Amino acid sequence: MYTLAGAMTVSTEHYDCESCGAGLVVSDVQRSLVCPYCASPSVIHREPEKDRPSPDFVIPFVIEDKTASEKVKAFLRSKYFAPSSLKEAKLDNIRGIYLPGYLYTACADSDYRAEIGEEYLDEEKYQARDQNGKFVTKTRTVVRTEWYTLKGKHSMYLKDIVVSASAGLPNHELEAVEPFDLRFIRRYSPAIISGWVSEEASLSKADSKSSAHEESMAEIGTTLNRFLPGDKHRNLSYSTELRSETVALCLLPLWVFAVRYHPKKPPLRLIVNGQTGEAGGHVPTSWVKVLILLSILIGIGLLVYLWSTQ
Amino acid sequence: MNQQRCEQCYSEIEAEDLRCVICGVVTPETEKPPRPAIEVLRCDNCGAAVSYDVKHAAPRCGFCGSTTKLEEISDPLEQTEKYLSLDVTTENARQAFKTWLGGKGFFAPSDLLEQTKLEKIHPLWWTGWVFDAKAQVSWTADSNANARESDWAPHSGQVSYNFDNVLISASRGLSDAEVQTLAPHYRLEAIQSKDELPNDAIIEQFETQRSAARSKIIHNIQTMAEARVHQHEVPGSRVRNLHVHCCLEALSTERIAFPVYILAYRYREELYRVVLHGQKQDVIAGRMPISWAKVLLVTSFLLLGLGVLGYWFSLQ
Repeated sequence: MYTLAGAMTVSTEHYDCESCGAGLVVSDVQRSLVCPYCASPSVIHREPEKDRPSPDFVIPFVIEDKTASEKVKAFLRSKYFAPSSLKEAKLDNIRGIYLPGYLYTACADSDYRAEIGEEYLDEEKYQARDQNGKFVTKTRTVVRTEWYTLKGKHSMYLKDIVVSASAGLPNHELEAVEPFDLRFIRRYSPAIISGWVSEEASLSKADSKSSAHEESMAEIGTTLNRFLPGDKHRNLSYSTELRSETVALCLLPLWVFAVRYHPKKPPLRLIVNGQTGEAGGHVPTSWVKVLILLSILIGIGLLVYLWSTQ
Repeated sequence: MNQQRCEQCYSEIEAEDLRCVICGVVTPETEKPPRPAIEVLRCDNCGAAVSYDVKHAAPRCGFCGSTTKLEEISDPLEQTEKYLSLDVTTENARQAFKTWLGGKGFFAPSDLLEQTKLEKIHPLWWTGWVFDAKAQVSWTADSNANARESDWAPHSGQVSYNFDNVLISASRGLSDAEVQTLAPHYRLEAIQSKDELPNDAIIEQFETQRSAARSKIIHNIQTMAEARVHQHEVPGSRVRNLHVHCCLEALSTERIAFPVYILAYRYREELYRVVLHGQKQDVIAGRMPISWAKVLLVTSFLLLGLGVLGYWFSLQ
């Protein structure tokens, strides 16, 4: 069974298939499976533990595998410096996975400080030559900025922070295909994940909090940048207290592609948001393409230089 | 009935809410059915195992093709929960209308009372939301207070506001101006359960889904907070770049039906509409005819007077 749990230590559990009675060995990070003997999809229910909570929510798949493949192809086409072998690689290893993610909420109270620039028009004198070539003093209108220090308090709710709860898929990879539309979130039901690969949370809530805090601080920074008055501002600094934090487990729909584009290199993992179709993943750079472009640019530069010195 | 409330911000939560609409905290699941350790979901039709199908957005049986219905994401239409009683009788409403018509001043036609025919008078209940909320309001703005070279200087602040018994109309039949006339005069302390409404009462339907209603209420709170900050918090006489962020707590909403009389009257072939408060008969909003002959007469006198004055000044 394909999972994203990666290099983490997993143990196995034994179940009997409810349909055909076959004995099944299942890793303890799997939440769903398909019986290899009768193809019946099963969902496993485990009692919640401190570091392995039960899912509260699930966002169902909306995008089909064909659409997901088209999204990945379009994503690769947009990467001009990607190796040609990658762009031409066959996308045949595709799996739909419900990735565990933590939905984080908190109330953020911030003390901020920034310099606010207020513009005004001023007249300044300057020296210029007149028609006879003599220096004369002239006046012109210029825009000047006076700077004020502004301090204040700001409170807001953080309610749409989603971070990976899987040790196999780091949060920065998930961020590349976010956001998910949380209006269409559903209470967890085994009926939604039946027949699909689904993982248990392999990171604890505490492990994921640092990622949640990072995303929170970035969101607070964006909000404060828009919140400040004046014609411009600089040197924004803020300290934030996060209170009333809550974390819920949500299963997130992802199409995962393992693309083999070079016989000696490991397959590349690309992912597509199964709800919105956003594609992402780290795409390697073809240094040959970069060198060719640089050579062309240097060639053009030399030609221009030679032409200008003629 | 005790309304469930969010553990964090203490705002009201409806039974179908998965998360608090204000602060996003997860609402507790009411009941969790016991589940076996390993479960195969079966088709209700043929008993075969089913998998979730993206195209049908539901679990679907691969053998017989039937789909299992999932619990829908619930966004029901708003429903009236409470109402205010109709305290004005039809006869009193009729009398109040005549008094209103008789006191419409100089520009009303002289024969207004004699020529007016009341075509229709009937009570109905229009609908609206009445909410309470607390808000921690953070704001920034530029104003002319403490300005130096520039016309503007920045200011900031944080303040707590209470919003008590704020009424927002959900009516499509009444205009905003009519609602503004009627709203301040309802006695919200005399609210009653909808079950006690008379059987023949005509109640306007909400025609708004819950999510849209919440957006409307939150938008109204934002607009009111901006107005209060502009008026009471920002120093100076001129303001620009006002930014207001509301952190809401304890939002609770009631969906209430308010009594009103709708009157239709005809004056010289033209039909006019008037709305009369259902609890206070002297509160009336509506259109009335104007005597254009009187308007012309007054305008002529004014122009003549101005002409005479101008002539007199030119002789000085």
